[in-house]
Amino acid sequence: MKLSARWSGWTLASPTILFMLAFFVFPSLFLLVYSFWKASSFQITPAFQFDNYVRALTDELFWRVTFNAVIIGLMSAVVCMAMALPVGYYLVFVSRSRLLEQIILVTWFSSYLVRIFAWRTLLGNDGVINTVLQSLGLIDAPIEALLYSRFAVGVTLIHLYLPYCIILVMTAFHEIRQDLIDASRDLGRSQVGAFFSVVVPNASAGLVGAFMLTLIMTMGDFVTPQMLGGTTGQTTGLLIADQFRRTGNWPLGSAQAVIMFLLVVLIFVAVIVAGRTLGFIPKRRKQRAV
Amino acid sequence: MILRIFVALVISFLVAPLLIIVLFSFHATASLSFPFQGLSLRWYAALFEDAQLGDAMLTSLLVALVTAVATLVLGMCASLAWLRLGGRARAAVEAVTITPIALPGLFIGVSLLIALALFQVSLGKVTIIIAHIVISMPIVMIAMRARLALFDTMLEEASRDLGANSLYTFRKVTLPLIMPTLVSAAVLTFAISLDEFIVTGFVSGTETTLPMFIWSMMRRTVTPMINAISTVILIATLAILLISSHIERTRRAQSLRARESE
Repeated sequence: MKLSARWSGWTLASPTILFMLAFFVFPSLFLLVYSFWKASSFQITPAFQFDNYVRALTDELFWRVTFNAVIIGLMSAVVCMAMALPVGYYLVFVSRSRLLEQIILVTWFSSYLVRIFAWRTLLGNDGVINTVLQSLGLIDAPIEALLYSRFAVGVTLIHLYLPYCIILVMTAFHEIRQDLIDASRDLGRSQVGAFFSVVVPNASAGLVGAFMLTLIMTMGDFVTPQMLGGTTGQTTGLLIADQFRRTGNWPLGSAQAVIMFLLVVLIFVAVIVAGRTLGFIPKRRKQRAV
Repeated sequence: MILRIFVALVISFLVAPLLIIVLFSFHATASLSFPFQGLSLRWYAALFEDAQLGDAMLTSLLVALVTAVATLVLGMCASLAWLRLGGRARAAVEAVTITPIALPGLFIGVSLLIALALFQVSLGKVTIIIAHIVISMPIVMIAMRARLALFDTMLEEASRDLGANSLYTFRKVTLPLIMPTLVSAAVLTFAISLDEFIVTGFVSGTETTLPMFIWSMMRRTVTPMINAISTVILIATLAILLISSHIERTRRAQSLRARESE
């Protein structure tokens, strides 16, 4: 009986697994292999050489846009978390408002391009923000730096990925039992104190996950920088995308993508180490005899 | 109190830009800023006269429909399998189906493009659909996992012990229990596919989907026509989400009631 259940299980799983292996797992692994291939003027030949990596890492432009991507990504992800933590806390432990949850879901599912377009019209020279500030007499000429800057990219990315971040934070908070918070409040902790001493450490795995996933999304987004970044707000994502759209050095683009992936892993390790030292992530507990 | 004000501010930050888009889609002039100069439906009328827009819309609807049905079938297989597998096998199924949600579209699009080029697959509607299924699978699996955690395999076994064959058991016991979740997830998939832009751009070849058409419009000009089409999309998304949550809730209530009355 057990054996046949397992057999039928694998049979049923096979179409889905094969599909995902063929169109997701294999391509992802192949990207890594491909980054070592050789691209000469018109041909791409299988090889194992580090030219693409050397070329990527010695390119001044690559460093500049990667610096941009990391700064923009980190800032947006930090602001997203700073907004998502209170909102998540409110929706999980204070009000459980279904309406607000639905609104957040709707904004998450509302069109990606529409939201980018919204910020472009809001931040433009004759956009809503500039015209309102001008008519109030607060500024004489439109603030041109609003659009086509790191700031514009950052604000738009926050708007794009905040709902995603809130949903992840709420999932992390759902794991915590309300009585833990009540106990800490009964013992005289303030609401903010209870938040940092009970909620954050207990949900730390989920919260680190939420932060990292938001960071991956904000760092990897290349449409927003293209639309709103101007010349100063370009990122690695855009550089990589362009390799596959215009100039066409695919192996180089793959190498750049792998470097970016490694960078994310590095940031992940740094976040864990920082969280442990600051005490937000509990160190692995030793078994204590009672 | 401070918390409440903060939450209100965050929610308005999320919603306000969308409302402004909707507002200016009804603007009488081509200007996208205040002062507001009267209402008009001219930008909506302009949408209907754009033949290319119509083509792009049809392509997107077709792609979204096929994606939703395919994801529904694949999701059903995977969730039935999930019920029958042990811990480690479950983890493996989850790993290959849920991971895409943790990767940026850029990564998925680029790697899929390279793999397709390796086997010289020509790009078009089919490759767009494949990409959309990859992206939608995590949503379906996350929804199913939450639902199946409450699923009682004893019901299936009981049905078979009572002499029902496995096809009958599937039709009368398993399917009614998982269907609401699957359908509501498939509806979400439809919405995701309709809006997908990043990955689509890499694997579309010469096809143009609705988001790609809007993108080319956005690059050319700033016109309230974009606001009008955006508003249509926003309302469609809202409708789709409402349908999805309605299916999930009413069907689940029905099956609970049916179970109680038996």
